[in-house]
Amino acid sequence: MAGLKKQKGLQASVQPVRKKKLKQRIYEYRWFYLMFLPVFLTVLIYGYFPMIGILYAFTEYTPFTDPVFIGVENFKVLFSSSMFWRAFKNTLQISTTNLVLSIVCCVGLALLIDEIKSVKFRKVAQTVIYIPHFISWVVVASIFTMFLSPKNGIVNAVIQLFGGEPIYFLANDKWWRPMFYVINRWKETGWGTIIFIAALAGVDQEMHEAAKIDGANRLQRVIFITLPAISGTILTVFILNLAKVLNLFDSVWVLQNSMVLGVSDVIETYVYRMGITSADYGMSTAAGLFKSVVSVLLVTIANKISKKVKGEGVLG
Amino acid sequence: MNDSEAMEKEKISFKPGHRARALFLIFDVLFLLILMALMIIPLLKVFVDSVDPTTYGIRLWPKAWDFGAYKQIIGTVALYRPFLVSVYTTILSTCLGLLLVTLAAYVIMQKEMPGHKFFINMILFTMMFSGGLIPTYLNIKNLGFMNNVILSVILPCCLGAYNIILMKSFFETIPETLYEAASLDGCTPLMTFWKVVLPLSKPALASIGLFIAVGMWNEYMHFILYIQDSRWKNFQVKVRDLILNDGISGTSITLSEEMLKSAVVIVVVLPFLLIYPFLQKYFVKGVTVGAVKG
Repeated sequence: MAGLKKQKGLQASVQPVRKKKLKQRIYEYRWFYLMFLPVFLTVLIYGYFPMIGILYAFTEYTPFTDPVFIGVENFKVLFSSSMFWRAFKNTLQISTTNLVLSIVCCVGLALLIDEIKSVKFRKVAQTVIYIPHFISWVVVASIFTMFLSPKNGIVNAVIQLFGGEPIYFLANDKWWRPMFYVINRWKETGWGTIIFIAALAGVDQEMHEAAKIDGANRLQRVIFITLPAISGTILTVFILNLAKVLNLFDSVWVLQNSMVLGVSDVIETYVYRMGITSADYGMSTAAGLFKSVVSVLLVTIANKISKKVKGEGVLG
Repeated sequence: MNDSEAMEKEKISFKPGHRARALFLIFDVLFLLILMALMIIPLLKVFVDSVDPTTYGIRLWPKAWDFGAYKQIIGTVALYRPFLVSVYTTILSTCLGLLLVTLAAYVIMQKEMPGHKFFINMILFTMMFSGGLIPTYLNIKNLGFMNNVILSVILPCCLGAYNIILMKSFFETIPETLYEAASLDGCTPLMTFWKVVLPLSKPALASIGLFIAVGMWNEYMHFILYIQDSRWKNFQVKVRDLILNDGISGTSITLSEEMLKSAVVIVVVLPFLLIYPFLQKYFVKGVTVGAVKG
């Protein structure tokens, strides 16, 4: 008790000094506040204003009427809509498959590049395989739409050369997803190796030397030394991407068409069609909000798992 | 770093005991060569299709050369105007984006500044949570920003929280004593920012500037959502329209459609391919610094 009182007394005596200091400090930093003003306004207008718009999820709102509060009606309709659950299921399936494929391919490729000891060859190889990352999804989709076209695309030309029937890959329920994964790997595998190559450069060489003396061959050393050494990086990449699994949009949007909506419709494309094409603002905001909430949950869970496994959260 | 060690070329030997290693290395090099070819061939193929008027199909080198498609692009307003819009928005958003990102980073690294924690959290929160597609769209619409390229496309794109954090970690590598020296010499924070911080962070500016530039050059969704005025659509939108709708409005095409489609794809990736080999290190730097910082 006495200690507490003493502390309180101390605080009381310190505070006035601090207050004066605060004013002084604010004055000292006046230039910085001025410098931050444009940033503050931009973040406010483009980052925080839309958050107020989340309230539209609880209204009926179209271009011709003002928003009318209707409670959770939108969510009730949404959760009983088979289209919505189809989009949700598709998002999870496409995203997680893509994520697993991505990590396996990127780690594998990084290991293969790491084995190359000629600096020149490495440089050239890396430079070339990073290129597709910088080509926009619109252009990537354009290129592959042309190649996979049943009319005069090169892929079907080859199939026909061998006597097969032309396949309309991007408008075929069976082919769309495999093609989506392949195109994703083409675009992003090279770029995804950067972080793993950096991690591989930090692997302790002494461990390798020790294992070598103990008679371990290269493959054994990769499995028992290298992979465990970069497992932290793999986990980090996995968790960071897990948080983004529901955000799948651009890549699907540019590759999908009305023929393959059943296998390719994801939440964001569903929201786009509802909100922009059909202009049902209330319902589409509700769908978007549901996605955001699940996303935040995923981030939190992923961060918890990371804390358990690694001892620290990815988000710090 | 053990650069000198890595520089030493590993000698391939087929003596017993080294054979497996040698075979693996040959496989490894071959695999990477094939992979590189797979990255290049699609672009090469598109280029060939854009200049070869003879047949369409299986070929990787043109039998004949015809630059008609490129002439068409240069000579048609509906085709070259979107290209100019792309150039304009890319330059503007890079300048504006770098200005805002550096300002933000410089201010939030002032640990003694009252409210600096609030500013950091304000920026970080936008990284984790956003209003979503439709509220963002309605916000721009209700503010009356529609069809205004600067207010509806450039500004929302140029202030990435990730870029700010990246820039801040670059700034923090500048030694503290330089700031003190500047303020002792009577520099205001603005002058210090302009004369000390920016000149010392040229690699960071290059790295983040390039990412902003490529991002805007490749921007598609913002133009689709907010720009209805066809005069202000960028080249990405034009490419997509051409590929999907099999034609261009307001112009008559005399040459094969496939050639024109291929040519616009080449035109849209060419600027990047030309600068990329020289600036590749800056592109990679942004990623590795971010990765180390977590």
